Amino acid sequence: MMKTLGLAALLATSATMALAQAKTLTPGQEVDMVLLPKFLGILVFDQAHEGAQEAHAELQNPGELLFQGPTPENSVAGQIEIMTTAGTQGVGAVMLSNNAGDQIVPAAQAAAESGTKIVTWDSPIPNGEGESVFIAQVDFEETGRVMADMAHEIMGGEGQFAVLSASPDAANQNAWIASLESVLASDEKYANLELVETVYGNDQSEESYNRALALVDSHPDLKLIMAPTTVGIQAAAKAMQDEGLCEQVKVSGLGLPAEMASYSLNGCAPQFALWDFRDLGYLTYQVAYGLATGQLTGEEGETFVAGRMGEYTIEADPGREGAKRVLMGPFTVYTAENVEAAAN
Amino acid sequence: MTRILGPWETFLLVVLVLIYAANAWISPEFLTLQNQVNLFQLSIEKVTIALVMAFVIINAEIDLSVGSMMGLSACAFATLVGEAGVPAALACLLCLGVGLAGGFLNGWFVARMGLPSLVVTLATLIGFRGVARILLEDRSIGSFPDWFAALGQRGLIGPIPLGLLSFVLLFVLLYVVLERGGFGRKTYVIGVSRDVAEFAGLDTARHKILIFMASGLVAAYAGLLFAARVGAVRGDVGQGFELDIITMVLLGGVSIFGGSGTLTGVGLAILIVLSLRNGMSLMNVTGHIQTGVVGLLLIASVLIPRLGTRLARRSPA
Repeated sequence: MMKTLGLAALLATSATMALAQAKTLTPGQEVDMVLLPKFLGILVFDQAHEGAQEAHAELQNPGELLFQGPTPENSVAGQIEIMTTAGTQGVGAVMLSNNAGDQIVPAAQAAAESGTKIVTWDSPIPNGEGESVFIAQVDFEETGRVMADMAHEIMGGEGQFAVLSASPDAANQNAWIASLESVLASDEKYANLELVETVYGNDQSEESYNRALALVDSHPDLKLIMAPTTVGIQAAAKAMQDEGLCEQVKVSGLGLPAEMASYSLNGCAPQFALWDFRDLGYLTYQVAYGLATGQLTGEEGETFVAGRMGEYTIEADPGREGAKRVLMGPFTVYTAENVEAAAN
Repeated sequence: MTRILGPWETFLLVVLVLIYAANAWISPEFLTLQNQVNLFQLSIEKVTIALVMAFVIINAEIDLSVGSMMGLSACAFATLVGEAGVPAALACLLCLGVGLAGGFLNGWFVARMGLPSLVVTLATLIGFRGVARILLEDRSIGSFPDWFAALGQRGLIGPIPLGLLSFVLLFVLLYVVLERGGFGRKTYVIGVSRDVAEFAGLDTARHKILIFMASGLVAAYAGLLFAARVGAVRGDVGQGFELDIITMVLLGGVSIFGGSGTLTGVGLAILIVLSLRNGMSLMNVTGHIQTGVVGLLLIASVLIPRLGTRLARRSPA
């Protein structure tokens, strides 16, 4: 965000120069697009779909925007199948929130070879192969610091906490946890915070709920569960509330205001953070449309106008060697004060 | 015609032709060679195992552990190659050995100890998966040698990849074994009644153990195919596959009580399920609805004809 703000300032002073650099997308070109979430039935992915639909209408694409996702229990095989089929159909672009780790690579490469642009969002392809560009919701390094800060404040600067993540192959969550660990290790401020365990609830409510309770059982001094997933944080908060543990163990992480409002207000989850998934879907669509219609080349340094969201630049992804990203940002931290307004 | 194709197989063939015609009519991509190859590739592990599962069920047993054996084989391969530095070719052989051993374990408990295969293979379903999970925990291991990945992802003969080639060869081999040879005849006889087969002097235990070993071997092979096809392995490889596999076999007209069914029927059922799913994917039908449609097809095709025969049996009396 700071970068975007900086660019806007630059624009104000030397408008003509900056305008010449940023590409504006020409609407009305026909290209079929597939939005492929980790799986169906998750609110944030539906919100991303809404954002993509908004951009689809704005760019007046006469082609189709399909929202295609696997069922939760079949996520990996389903993503591979949808990716393969999209390549066969000659779809212009697949917008993927990857849940298959590197297992998606052969299918993504095959689709890319047949001319389909693969744009990832939310969760990238870990080794970047087959992928044109990743639309990063936030800087992955920043995520670790935001989580560390929330933990520091909730726990009063000391004590044990655990991480409840999504699936062990989710590239986004893994990168955030790695960033959290490195922030904890490198900054004296967090010296008394102890990350005792990382467990995986696979973004299934019941599994996450049980994992949260198991964490409390196995770590009697646990003060906080940090869940960098909207499914996990809600399940953990519900588990602590149901068992009357909220005084003892707090919950934090990445959550949706609409799903977390009650837990923020009753003190089970005093702080959590997130970005806007509608914006993420909107920005992803803009980039995918630009690439699929040949208006964007996807090269590093390319600057473009993403409709209502303004200017963005394609840059090297600091977290993945050889891969490229567009950084959206920023984080909003929600507390009892601002959660209700955001929930509606 | 009906000598080669029984009434059930004829019915399946008609359904298959209808599905192919509808798919081809609706989707221009359906009949392309690449799509036909993909149609098999996306489920190649399941359909390969289904061919041997037909033997297991005709023999009046069940093998629920195949999905877990797939996972165990894939995880063992990943551990051996990715962590222990064992050459991939040797690791493949070791994994196939694991499959044979696991199959022998199943067969021994069923045939020598006289335990129901439902119980034995339910136990090994959990056990094999447990070992697979211990090996990989929450990790994902990839980066296998190029030649190994190419076997799963590229055409071996023209556009035909190894998995599809081995599926066709296995089908032909098992067809001959089941429908033309002594081993096949024994499989049916034991499936109808183990006691009668024993009385006739057949070594039924040995026969059952051999079939379970074949099942384990092919499941382990399928695990390797999966590792090659997707290029990375984690602990949940093959999880839940057993139900899809058994479903295809039953749809093919194999009786769950053993003693009847043909490989032709199973082959047709495989083609029906694959082409139906593929057609729906090309029409952009979501996963939830696809599962529902396949489920309805099964209810219609597995239950209704059996109700029909029941009524037919009752009416003359």
